[in-house]
Amino acid sequence: MSTLSLTGVSRWYGNVVAVNDVTFEVGPGITGLLGPNGAGKTTLLHMMAGFLAPSAGEVRLDATHTWRHPEVYRQIGFVPEREAVYSFLTGRQFVLASARLSGVADAEAAAGRAIDMVELRDAADRAIGGYSKGMRQRAKVAAALVHDPPTLILDEPFNGMDPRQRLSMMGLLRAMAADGRTILFSSHILEEVERLSDRVLVVVAGRLAASGDFRRIRRLMTDRPHRFTLRSSDDRRLARELLAAPEVEAIELRDGMLSVRTGDYGALTRSVAPAAQRAGVSLLELRPADESLESVFSYLVRR
Amino acid sequence: MISTLASLTFRAMLNRRRTLLLGLLGGVIVVVAVVYRLSASADAEALDFTGRLLANFGVAVLLPLVAVIVGTAALGSELDDGTIVYLLAKPIPRPVIVFVKLAVAWLVSALLVSLPILLAGVIGSGGDPGLGIGYGLAALLGALEYTAVFLALSLVTSRALVIGLAYVVVWEGVVAGLFAGTRIVSIRQHALAVADALTGESGAASELDLRTGLLVGGIVTIAAIVLAVRRLSTVELRGETG
Repeated sequence: MSTLSLTGVSRWYGNVVAVNDVTFEVGPGITGLLGPNGAGKTTLLHMMAGFLAPSAGEVRLDATHTWRHPEVYRQIGFVPEREAVYSFLTGRQFVLASARLSGVADAEAAAGRAIDMVELRDAADRAIGGYSKGMRQRAKVAAALVHDPPTLILDEPFNGMDPRQRLSMMGLLRAMAADGRTILFSSHILEEVERLSDRVLVVVAGRLAASGDFRRIRRLMTDRPHRFTLRSSDDRRLARELLAAPEVEAIELRDGMLSVRTGDYGALTRSVAPAAQRAGVSLLELRPADESLESVFSYLVRR
Repeated sequence: MISTLASLTFRAMLNRRRTLLLGLLGGVIVVVAVVYRLSASADAEALDFTGRLLANFGVAVLLPLVAVIVGTAALGSELDDGTIVYLLAKPIPRPVIVFVKLAVAWLVSALLVSLPILLAGVIGSGGDPGLGIGYGLAALLGALEYTAVFLALSLVTSRALVIGLAYVVVWEGVVAGLFAGTRIVSIRQHALAVADALTGESGAASELDLRTGLLVGGIVTIAAIVLAVRRLSTVELRGETG
C-alpha cells in the first residue's frame, strides 16, 4: 500500500505556469487524472514519477521525495505517453531488460508473467519496431509492471488500443487495484475515465479544478450534450437511419464524417450498431468527441 | 543490471547505420596503408608516410569523427527520442548509467579507431608493430577523453553533434593550428603527445609534452564525467504534452 502526495506543488517554465499550487493525495485504487490537452496532466504525472522537479512544493511517495531519488522506482511503474521504445528489441527482450534493470530476482519468469498479463505472448518474440500502436502500448505496460510495483503511473495508457484491448487493459488495471495497488492514469477522454476510475482528479489550466467520485461530477453535467463522430461506408444513409432514434438530437455531415449530438450517451452507443445494420452500411469508426471538456470543467470551476 | 545496460547501449549503437559507415571509414585508413606500402620504393619512405597517415588522418580525422558520433549518441539519442525514460524509471544510480554508457562508447570508438590504426601502422611499416601500437594506444586514450567530453556535451545541449563537430573542425583544426597557446585544450594534441612519446615523434609533432598531455587530458576527462553525472541526476523529462 502506498500513497502519492502532492503538497502545494507548482511548476513553471520561465514565465509560463504549467501547474499551479496543487495539493492532493492518491491512495490505493484507481484514480483518473483528467483534463484537456495542455492542462498540465503530463507535467503533474512527470513530477509524481520523479522526472521533473517541482518549482515549489513537495511530491512524495509515502515518505520519500520522488525527485532525485532513483530508489523510488522499486515502488513505481511508469508508462510514458511517448511511443518511443527500443525498436530493435523484441517485446520479450524489452520487458526482460526492464526486469533486470529493476533488479528483479527471477527476471525471466517475471517477464513471462508480465507479457501474459498484457496478452502479448503471441507477438512477444517479434521486434517492437513492427508492433502496432496498441501492441507497443501493451509492451510498455508489461515493462512497467514487471517488477510488481505497488504504484503504477500511466500517461494516456489507452492511446492506440482497439476496443477489445482497452477492455482487457481496464480489466488488468482493476485486478491490480483490487490487490491494493495505487494506480493513477491520465486521459482526456471522459468516458474512459468513467468506466475505470473510483476517483478522478480534474486539471484545468494547471489547477486542480475538481476531485472526487466521477459519477457525481458527471451528474452535474447532465445539461451538457454528448458528441460522437462516426465514419461508415455510407454516412448519409446511416444519418437517415439514426435520425429516427429518439436519443439523437442532431446530426451533422462534416469533413467526411458524421457528428452526432445526443443527450443520452448509453442509449446512443446501443442504437448505433443496429441502425447501421438496418441501413445496410458498414460502421468504420465510432468515437466520443468530447471537445467541450475544457468549457465543461471551466464551468464547473466557476460554480 | 550493468550487463543489461551495456548490452542495450551496444545494440542501439550497432543498430545505427552511421556506426557501420564509421566502420567503413576505419577501413579506408587500412586500405591507404596497404596501397602505399605496395607502391612505396623505400621502407623509410613508407614508414614516414604511415606516421603522417596515422597522425593526420587516424588521430586528427578518424578519431574525433568517430568519437563525436558515438559519444553524443551514447545517451543523447535516448534523450532525443525519449527512450531515456526507460532507464531513468529504474532504480539505477545515475553515476552507474554514465559509467556504463561511457565504457560502451569508449569500447566502440576503440574498435572503430584504434584497431584500424593498429592494422594500418603494422602494414604501413612492413610488419613492425611499434608505430601501430603507439598510435593505437594514443587513439585509445584520446577516444576516452573525446567520448567523455561529447557524452557530457549531449547532456548539456541537444545540439551536441553540431557543437562537437564545430569544436573538432574550428578549434582543433583551425584555432589550434594558428595559436599555439590554445593547443593545451585540444584533445587531438593530448592524443598526439602520447603518440609522440611512444613512437619518437614520427609524423605527429605535438606541441605538448607527454606529461602535460596526460595531465590535462586526465583533468578534462574527469571533469566531463563529473559534469555528465551531475547533469543526468537532474535531467528533466517534460513529455510531449502539458
